[in-house]
Amino acid sequence: MTSTHPLIQVRNLDLHFGAFHALKNVSVDFHAGELIGLVGDNGAGKTTLIRVLCGIYAPSSGEVFFDGKKVEKFHPKLAIDQGIETIQQSVGLCDNLSIARNFYLGREPVKRILGIPFLDFARMREKSTRVIRQFGLRDNVSADDEVERLSGGERQSVKIGRAVEFKNRVVIMDEPTNHLSVREREHVNELAVQLKEQGLLVIYITHDIFQVHRLADRIVIMENGEKVADASTSSMTAEELEEVIRQGGRVVEKQEAV
Amino acid sequence: MALSAAKPLIRRHTELGIFLIGAVLIVLFATTSDGKWANLFNLATILQVTATLGLMSLGVALVIGTGEIDISVGSTFGMGALTYLWLAAQVDPSLAAVAAIAVGAAIGLFNGLLVTKTGTPSLIITLGTLMIFRGIAIALTEGFSFSIPYAGRNGWTYFLLGGGDFLRFNTALYWLIAVTIILMAVLKAMPFGNRLLAVGGSAESAHSRGVRVDRIKLTTFILCGMLAAFAGTLEAGKLGFADGSMGRLMELQAIASCVLGGCLLAGGRISLPGALMGAFVLSSIQSYLVVTGVRPQWFILILGLIVVAAAYGDRSLRQWALRK
Repeated sequence: MTSTHPLIQVRNLDLHFGAFHALKNVSVDFHAGELIGLVGDNGAGKTTLIRVLCGIYAPSSGEVFFDGKKVEKFHPKLAIDQGIETIQQSVGLCDNLSIARNFYLGREPVKRILGIPFLDFARMREKSTRVIRQFGLRDNVSADDEVERLSGGERQSVKIGRAVEFKNRVVIMDEPTNHLSVREREHVNELAVQLKEQGLLVIYITHDIFQVHRLADRIVIMENGEKVADASTSSMTAEELEEVIRQGGRVVEKQEAV
Repeated sequence: MALSAAKPLIRRHTELGIFLIGAVLIVLFATTSDGKWANLFNLATILQVTATLGLMSLGVALVIGTGEIDISVGSTFGMGALTYLWLAAQVDPSLAAVAAIAVGAAIGLFNGLLVTKTGTPSLIITLGTLMIFRGIAIALTEGFSFSIPYAGRNGWTYFLLGGGDFLRFNTALYWLIAVTIILMAVLKAMPFGNRLLAVGGSAESAHSRGVRVDRIKLTTFILCGMLAAFAGTLEAGKLGFADGSMGRLMELQAIASCVLGGCLLAGGRISLPGALMGAFVLSSIQSYLVVTGVRPQWFILILGLIVVAAAYGDRSLRQWALRK
């Protein structure tokens, strides 16, 4: 199922924010066609790690390889161009813009008139309308409405819809089911599995090990900026992994070193 | 209720407030000035002032749109005027105008680089450059003024750059109309405008979507500098002379125009027509005070009071519109 060389390879990654050591010597491989559950308590460094992968933070030291090539420059634009789509937890939508404008922010479709790029409003509206209907937003929400009007669940749906629509090679989901109803949550989880089955790498971040254990091929646990466990879901049960988290990873760290 | 039907409209278009205030003031000024305010000649004067202040306000509005501010525009205006006058005496006015705009672009670049590279708040950076370039303007003129001799005040390029009237209005007004149309198209219908407003709405979110936030901010600072210097050029073309104090305090009027016009200082929501209406209202008030013979000592005080009242009225209107 997994290809021979990892799609994303992280080697000895360190990240400092001033005196704060946010990531400590993290090394991990991610393969295409895998669904990875990235788990850990609040402040464990999950979000920080994926923010490096999607180009928001540049690491202090260490290397990241994408598809075998070393990543030299970190910027979200480069990551998105490479096909890494990220559903961020707290950022990603501008309240003051319409759904359609948010949907295409940074990669706006244009129609050229005399060589001048004008936004292709018809296409922006049509595609984003289709996605918001698919994700079951209220009928009175239109693609021209500002994101400010949306509820937490609807905002999340817009972000997920956007990532799925532009799916390329990697989809990273940071706590994707926050704010969602039970039905919406099921929908997101099905999507994550579908994307994986289409051969994409899906990194699913959550602190709910039981939820992700059912979906994932492999679970990576982080604690205090370090990777403390990396095990396939067939080799460890959710209960065992939860114990690792509860112990702060200390016990398993020794086991892993063997 | 007919009135409550207007609420969503006012909520969506924050600039409606200033248009309403403008309409009220026009009626008030026209009826209380004995015909001295509401005549074509005076209106043309008001529109000439509106044109230069308006061009400056458009640039400031773009910077405000990204969540930054540029208060150095008054000095940029002066530098543009001086550059134009100095060169127009030697080369064709069109080349002099290009040079003046280039000076404005350079000042904008300087502001933008300082803000984006150092991360220092734009308020304090541009307050500093406001003083720096005012200082340079005063030093350059050494207390005298730059002027174009009357013999040089002709030719169609001089005429086009604020130096004459077309259909009874100063040519600056036509520049304002053209620039407004272009900028509105850029802001509403082009990717750059989408990204500009995204940066003001949430720089973090825009960054996470791959928008080059610093580049967008830098571009708006450059545009703002160019527009302020161009406004200075048109004013210099109109007057034919300028000294080191040219454009002094105009930065405050430009910011007031933007805020009255519905631009949110926090960024992300701006209205170019609103900013222009703000500039028109400010120029109208000034003109009213002049034609009704208010003693100069009281002028600034009364202008300030009207601005405060207008801002309060606008805010009340918006809050009314937000109430369910």
